[in-house]
Amino acid sequence: MTSILTLCGEHGGGQLLRSALALSLITGQAFRMTGIRGQRPKPGLMRQHLTCVKAAAGIGGAGVEGAEIGSTELLFSPGAVVGGDFSFAIGSGGSTTLVLQTLLPALLHAACPSTLRIEGGTHNPFAPPFEFIRHCYLPVLGKMGVHAEVTLERPGFMQAGGGMLTASIVPVKKWRKLHLTERGEAVETFGRVMQAHLSNDIARRGIATASRVLNWPEDRFEIHDATDSAGPGGIILLGARFANVCEISSGVAQMGKSVESIASGAAKGLRGYLASSAPIGAHLADQLLLPMALAGGGEIHTLAITHHTRTNIALIEQFLPVNFTVEDLGQGVKAVRCDER
Amino acid sequence: MKKPLVVLGFLGTTLDRHQERDRWSKWRPTVGLCQQEDLLVARLELLVDPKFVDLADMIISDVRQVSPETEVRAHLFPLRDPWDFQEVYEQLYDFVRSYPFAPDDEDYLIHLTTGTHVGQICWFLLNEARFVPGRLLQTAPASHRGRDSNPAGRYEIIDLDLSKYERLATRFAQEQERTLDLLKGGITTRNRAFNELIGQIELVAVRSRAPILLTGPTGAGKSMLAGRIYDLRRTRAGLAGEFVEVNCATLRGDQAMSALFGHKRGAFTGAQSERPGLLKQADDGLIFLDEIGELGLDEQAMLLRALEDKSFLPLGGDKPVRSDFQLIAGTNRDLRREVASGRFRDDLLARINLWTFSLPSLAERREDLAANVDFELERFAASHRRRVRFQKEAREAFLRFARGPEARWSANFRDLNAAVTRLATLAPKGRITEACVAAEIARLQESWRDPEEPQKPGGPLSAGQRAAIDPFDLAQLDYTISVCRESRTLSEAGRTLFAVSRTKRRVTNDADRLKKYLARFDLTWDAIRKS
Repeated sequence: MTSILTLCGEHGGGQLLRSALALSLITGQAFRMTGIRGQRPKPGLMRQHLTCVKAAAGIGGAGVEGAEIGSTELLFSPGAVVGGDFSFAIGSGGSTTLVLQTLLPALLHAACPSTLRIEGGTHNPFAPPFEFIRHCYLPVLGKMGVHAEVTLERPGFMQAGGGMLTASIVPVKKWRKLHLTERGEAVETFGRVMQAHLSNDIARRGIATASRVLNWPEDRFEIHDATDSAGPGGIILLGARFANVCEISSGVAQMGKSVESIASGAAKGLRGYLASSAPIGAHLADQLLLPMALAGGGEIHTLAITHHTRTNIALIEQFLPVNFTVEDLGQGVKAVRCDER
Repeated sequence: MKKPLVVLGFLGTTLDRHQERDRWSKWRPTVGLCQQEDLLVARLELLVDPKFVDLADMIISDVRQVSPETEVRAHLFPLRDPWDFQEVYEQLYDFVRSYPFAPDDEDYLIHLTTGTHVGQICWFLLNEARFVPGRLLQTAPASHRGRDSNPAGRYEIIDLDLSKYERLATRFAQEQERTLDLLKGGITTRNRAFNELIGQIELVAVRSRAPILLTGPTGAGKSMLAGRIYDLRRTRAGLAGEFVEVNCATLRGDQAMSALFGHKRGAFTGAQSERPGLLKQADDGLIFLDEIGELGLDEQAMLLRALEDKSFLPLGGDKPVRSDFQLIAGTNRDLRREVASGRFRDDLLARINLWTFSLPSLAERREDLAANVDFELERFAASHRRRVRFQKEAREAFLRFARGPEARWSANFRDLNAAVTRLATLAPKGRITEACVAAEIARLQESWRDPEEPQKPGGPLSAGQRAAIDPFDLAQLDYTISVCRESRTLSEAGRTLFAVSRTKRRVTNDADRLKKYLARFDLTWDAIRKS
């Protein structure tokens, strides 16, 4: 394809860039993004974004210009995505799941199956934790005809990193349109604290807070001591599984932030989800837009449409011949429909 | 394309040392600099004391984990005493001299935060002397505890090019302004060439100890400038000794030798006591040798040796005397021509004309006359304790004359100084009047008159009148007057002066036109013929 799509990165963040990389790899459409992270205090590409660009270029044999720290303009011209065995290491404990989500759609369209080995952080703030990919994201993709598995080889937290996830991905034969408008019957709720090299007391304080907010008995929580993690860190995962869908709300331990505030943030997230009837949480809805577009249509009911979601929709519509429509169904439920143009 | 970034630094045997799992919550400078989201270190050159190899192993493996993009190279760097300046500098010097820097392909940062203070000083010195073609990198723990605090800490790149810092640049500009002001003696000069010259002299005066040669006509201000360069070096470049000024034209024969280089008692008839000499007097200071072209060949040879060896033999002495003096030489001659004719040593010229500055004459700096007149008046007031002022019209008349083409200022500032001194001395009740100015203009004109040249055609106009006429008009008027003098009648003069335009007129009235023209300057045909 000779024409180059010009995208403005001014109002988006790293997610806009990652989505563009994924779409470009799938469609073979080259793009030039200008004003990347233009409104952030430190504009331009940071190391974690560079890692994604390089990984995307790696699996797609892409030509890249402007891939350097602080660059606000990037030209990405992909080649063919063949598939195969890939290994990436991310600096500073950067998120492995964000790299996975960037590469996965393209590898689903590759000629042959792939394995991925990504080192870095597996439980990062501002990124889906490994469990979310495993229990929430991939099962929905499974309904759409996707065969992909992920394994947590070793947890890794921000700063130290050293975590690793592996994935095996089989190309999709035929996409199935997703219709996810009901949760189905409630199966279970669960709470889990995974922490490494922190005192058990911290985990208990987090559990106490979460159980109070959610009105759960404390014995519904389990504590997992991740002794194999390189550095210290922790995460609280609160989940609800239904027949059709699973939702996880989480909070990652951060320096200078009390465990109580992290646990209560995560618990309020899940409480909000449980109070509604929509099957898809805000984060998952965002992640499902691209697969829906690739399947050429579908409908989901979700809780809220975020700014992220709207930017993402606009971007997808530039690469693929689809239209998204959003309808407010009342009582905090929104329907997102995707149709072929 | 950005170049790959290479960081050089010591392993921090104190700051980088945090053991066990706890280390990930502590700030470790070497690890932290590889954890910055907006700093991608392609290679880390780590200088490791062999006593701390275990620590280095852990740091290197941690850096590889947090920054898989970074290649770490450890260099064993044994120091007997990391606080010994000489040892550290020597070792670091050897390291950087043998390091294959490729500044066209890579960017270099020196990590200053680890290592002893002595190490920091040595890094700084090597960087400033450009043995390390890079910038300095400073890391620090996160500035606040709180949700954004981060064990990776923060970093700052320090560029030693101080002109890049806006606030410092302003201060330097002010400082430089003061320096230039000092060199110009507080006179606000407008002449571009002169101001550029002063700017260059300022650079050389502060940065170099080498001799300076000032050329320019007599009275152009060489001596005053030499004195100000001395003042500048004393305040800014740590010059401790005296300022010695001597005009070589006043030194002749044995006198010259002994005056410059001193003599021992009994060195010659009349040498009854020992004399140290001017060069010795200028030890650790500065000597200004004006009219250096007048110096005899023997003295030139001695001076050259004194410059090169910082020592010389006094007359009649057998032990060399040491003197570390700085030299400024002045001349109004073309020394190259003096060399060609054998009157000046070429090796001495080569030694002193490294920095040659040619001072413009006052006539070439007419836009600076007003400021210099004020300066001379101030100087008069200071030395005579008497303040004298110009009347407004008198000042304008004087400046008009002074800036005009008639004012030759052949002795430059000496002329101006003399003129102002006379004006100020003769001023009744401290006011310089138009009459004073007219008289002074006449005196100056007389002093600049070539003895062979006949009396100027000033004739019918007084000096005061001339001073009140624009130079533009004056040239025309002078020509008109000279034509009148050579003509027998007013009409004849008119025919000559209006030779072209009269052919195009139906009615010729040359005599009338000329009469009206002269009347504009209060002149008549008769007055011109009588003068």
